[in-house]
Amino acid sequence: MNKSRFQHHSLRGQHWLAQVIAWAACLGLWCESCLVGRAEGSLTEYQVKALYLLNFIKYVDWPPNTIAGSNAPTTIGLCGESKLGEALKIVAAGKSIGGRLIAIREIGATNDFSPCQILFISDAESFRMRQILEKASALPILTVGEGAAFAQNGGIINFVLKNGTVRLEINLSAAKKAGLTISSRLLAVADVVKGKAD
Amino acid sequence: MLKQVSFRPWLWCDALLVFVLMPTLAGATDTNQPAQSFGDLGDLTIEQLVNVKVTSVAKGQTDLFASPAAIAVVTADDIRRLGLTSIPEALRLVPGMDVAQINAAEWAVSARGFNAEFGRDLLVLIDGRTVYTPSSAGVFWDAQDVVMDDLDRIEVIRGPGATLWGANAVNGVINVISKSARETQGLLVSGSAGSVEQDSVTVRYGGELASNLYYRVYAQRSDMSDLANSNGKSSGDAWNSSLGGFRADWEPPSPNVLTLQGDYYYSEAAQPSELVSLTPPAVTLLNTSEYNQGGNILGRWTHTVSDSSQMTLQTYYDHVEQNTGFGIEYLNTYDIDLQDRFSLGSWNDFVWGTGYRYQDVDDTPSFELTWLPQTQHLRLFNIFAQDDIKIVPDRLHLILGNKFEDNSLVQWEVEPNGRLLWTPTESQTLWAAVSRAARTPSLFELDTRLNAAAFQPAPASPPALVSVFGNPNSTAEKLLAYEAGYRVEPVRSLSFDLTGFYNVYQHLLVQVANPTAIETSPAPTHLLISSSYMNAGAGDTYGVELSSQWRVFENWRLTASYSWLGTRLTPVSDFAQSPQQQFQLRSYLDLPYHLELNGAVYLVGRSTGPLSAGFEEIPSYVRADLGLIWSPRKWLQVGLWGENLLQSEHIEFSSQETPALTEVPRSVLAKVTVRF
Repeated sequence: MNKSRFQHHSLRGQHWLAQVIAWAACLGLWCESCLVGRAEGSLTEYQVKALYLLNFIKYVDWPPNTIAGSNAPTTIGLCGESKLGEALKIVAAGKSIGGRLIAIREIGATNDFSPCQILFISDAESFRMRQILEKASALPILTVGEGAAFAQNGGIINFVLKNGTVRLEINLSAAKKAGLTISSRLLAVADVVKGKAD
Repeated sequence: MLKQVSFRPWLWCDALLVFVLMPTLAGATDTNQPAQSFGDLGDLTIEQLVNVKVTSVAKGQTDLFASPAAIAVVTADDIRRLGLTSIPEALRLVPGMDVAQINAAEWAVSARGFNAEFGRDLLVLIDGRTVYTPSSAGVFWDAQDVVMDDLDRIEVIRGPGATLWGANAVNGVINVISKSARETQGLLVSGSAGSVEQDSVTVRYGGELASNLYYRVYAQRSDMSDLANSNGKSSGDAWNSSLGGFRADWEPPSPNVLTLQGDYYYSEAAQPSELVSLTPPAVTLLNTSEYNQGGNILGRWTHTVSDSSQMTLQTYYDHVEQNTGFGIEYLNTYDIDLQDRFSLGSWNDFVWGTGYRYQDVDDTPSFELTWLPQTQHLRLFNIFAQDDIKIVPDRLHLILGNKFEDNSLVQWEVEPNGRLLWTPTESQTLWAAVSRAARTPSLFELDTRLNAAAFQPAPASPPALVSVFGNPNSTAEKLLAYEAGYRVEPVRSLSFDLTGFYNVYQHLLVQVANPTAIETSPAPTHLLISSSYMNAGAGDTYGVELSSQWRVFENWRLTASYSWLGTRLTPVSDFAQSPQQQFQLRSYLDLPYHLELNGAVYLVGRSTGPLSAGFEEIPSYVRADLGLIWSPRKWLQVGLWGENLLQSEHIEFSSQETPALTEVPRSVLAKVTVRF
């Protein structure tokens, strides 16, 4: 090995560095152009989940007189910290579905979700899941979760991430127990799963 | 573009500019969709929602983006796309990582300088089991064969991680994490053939023994061909590896997860070694066939109460029989670790842990290498605690931690760190850290005598023996590290990660020459030219590491990284010099007809081992790898890769063991994977 060969091959650092900086600058330019013309087509997981919750109001029938008073809103309860709350507030603001506005209620440790029609139990609450489901299952509440085996454990609808999309699992016997009817249009896009109790 | 053979980096970068600009121009038409804000999307029907692709950031990735350390992850997808066949090859993807192949079976891996065959400042764990060897302070990479298809990810923290991970996590921690048995259900058979990795067969089967009790069993055999050296001859370094093992995971819908896993491997490597003798011939070079084997069994219990409360208890036994080139080393490790994480009020996330490790090391002595004593019993006890204080929830965190470690080789070590994490918005993270770490001297640096060479100074004179002595008074090497980083995601599809560091080292172990003496035993009487280890080195290193990920389109991703390293260590010639500059660009492109085209280009600046030890300078080089994967069926995947396409061969590392350096050749690899 002779040293001159090494020198011949040695990196000319300055050229290289200058080019890398130019490359980075181009990336920056691209990024700016992309900020200007950015497409808003893609949604986050929690934005999609929030949109689903609104749709559930349309495609689920609660027993008559579940909501007292014709002007009272449909109440969505949120159990556990989640980015869904923020997304839901934005998308539900001022909307009325079936002639009712939408109220969002954060459920604390007291588990007082009796005024809710929909109860979302976030992944963060997965270890209180059974306790919450036990209490909610006898009430006309659509329980919605996102944990492993949520529907199998007696939840009614579970969000599942599949190939970058949010899909649904529905436990029909749990829905029946709660006195809810789920429209065929909703069932058509969901996987029907059996609960462990079935 | 890939036909560019001569090494002219500036031309390369021009080509890269075109590469980058092209899609920008082409993409302009794609991004001009009418803007619509999320609040207006309430009318999306249920049928539309089902098909909306979400740009969610997985939990782990969120943590990564907002983590107060220079952390990078090599994913299972990276490994699959680039057809990577070993852990060191996968580590090339990490920004700023210095990975150099020494010969067919050995790699030198380091971060932030000090590259050597035993990257002594990196701690490497495979599924929580340390593979750092206490005798030579490093990792035998050829003994760390794994089923690459079953890896979940490789997490790499550059910089000290001593508070959580303990001694020797000085310049980095590498965590190789395999998938849960739940994620590897069914049959997988893969076979590959190539010019360097000649053939490899993997069979894995995963099933469910009982409800929620998953298992997998696997076996793998690989044969690697020998590589040529710079004299055009074979390096005689062909090797093969056989591996078998299992993993069982019990994941009931309760807070408890139990894991039991075990491996056994056997490998044969034809490796060059030296026979030293005081009678002529003084040094004989041998290509002996060496065998290495080892096995381990590990159990882990994880009890998760909530997101912020988790307890892990882990224990393992590991046995290694490694041929060191001078004799066989037997190493047994017994380890138990407990870690507990919980919230203290709403402001503190607290984690503490404790662990005990017992190791016995036995080295068969030879004339070349003797260990005093031959059998060593090492005991290591540690206890640590770290608190993550939310000064402003979701915005400003202060992390303070400390570890006390008692090693039977040296005195107590204290390894504290303090980190500040500021996330002004969801898409920006700033962090800064000060930490202290220690590297325990290896047994080699403490208690050995290495007779490295012998020669005849003059025809009538007595022979001369060149020896290196360990020093029982060696103490741990110390690092005080200052780091800062910035991550930003200006748009969903683009992110940047910039880290800067300044490392101050003290008490570095170097070889200091002793006066020449006359030694009568062993006979014949000879001159002794020797050196001993002393904590006489010191200095600092500093540098920046920049990486960027860009999802150009839904089907095209680019990753680039650049690193720059400055080294000021004294005595200069006693330390390995890692490349000052490194650059890499990776491209993952999904094509129609179930095709994926993946490529990577690495530019590596020149480097050198310690010049005082006779290492040569390694010139800079470019590696370019390109691969095409075809997945015509859900159960079938066929891949073809070309590696080092630009140069017919290049040298990546200078080794003392061989007179001529081993060259990494251009190579091809074809692989078929079937899953049922």
